[in-house]
Amino acid sequence: MNKDEYIEELNKLLKKLPKEEKADIISDYEEHFMIGIEKGRTEEEISEALGNPKNLAKQIKAEYMLRKAEDKQSAGSVFEAALAAAGLGIFNLIFVAVPAMLLVAILLTLFVLGGAMVFGGIYVTLVTVLKLILPQYNFYITTYNGVLGSLGGILYGIGLTILGLALLAVLVYVTKWIYGLALRYLKWNLRVIEGKKRS
Amino acid sequence: MNAQFKKGVLELCVLVLLDRKDCYGYEMVDEISKNISISEGTIYPLLKRLRKDKMVISYLKESQDGPPRKYYQITDVGKEKKEGLVAEWDEFSTGVNDLVHEKLMNNLGDITDE
Repeated sequence: MNKDEYIEELNKLLKKLPKEEKADIISDYEEHFMIGIEKGRTEEEISEALGNPKNLAKQIKAEYMLRKAEDKQSAGSVFEAALAAAGLGIFNLIFVAVPAMLLVAILLTLFVLGGAMVFGGIYVTLVTVLKLILPQYNFYITTYNGVLGSLGGILYGIGLTILGLALLAVLVYVTKWIYGLALRYLKWNLRVIEGKKRS
Repeated sequence: MNAQFKKGVLELCVLVLLDRKDCYGYEMVDEISKNISISEGTIYPLLKRLRKDKMVISYLKESQDGPPRKYYQITDVGKEKKEGLVAEWDEFSTGVNDLVHEKLMNNLGDITDE
């Protein structure tokens, strides 16, 4: 591959990156070629030594996504970073994508459960109170009858709501912690991949 | 050589070279590949990360033959990191060396015993 082919290939592989970011990266490699040619190497030799542009592009993209995830904390960006890292090979597909998806699924389930507990609690409380006030209506739900039963129902509803809120609070905390951990893991992972010997 | 290993080593090499003097990318690649075989292209993403982590800064400098080149300079954070990596490396390489040579001596011992 000569210089133009190599740069063109890299350009094509990095087309998803923002313009300035890509220009900055490409300029590094153009400079590399230029100096190499000055030192008397052929364009082909330099391309060969630089390594496969496909691997290089994967590494650059993964680094970029990771940096983005660090700057701007969001589930989407960490997922993108995980995906980019997964693009680096089957090893990463198994060791990055699968655990990431599992974790996201578990967290999501817990969030839904927390939300359901909060709303369920509010619902039970409201219905019990309403039934106490308007006993003639049937709310199509087995609720608690009598003063003692109503009191129990209300307490149960409030308790459920508080438990749900507590679960959500803990989840937010845990999610933040996992986010940091995931970034660290991805970084370590990238370091492993980058070290790969040229083929 | 083991992949994980090499990656850490590349970071160490870059910081050590920059601690001696400011370099441009090609210069470092040249220097490092004299000693170990690396995929030369990987140095630029590494430099980008080091810059992001505030371990190096970059600036453009005119050269006699051709357009300006991007030079890298190590920062205090980078120097600190380098010290840590060198210490880790020393401990690691001494440990491996001791092990390898001890094993060698034991082997020699076995042979002379027979």
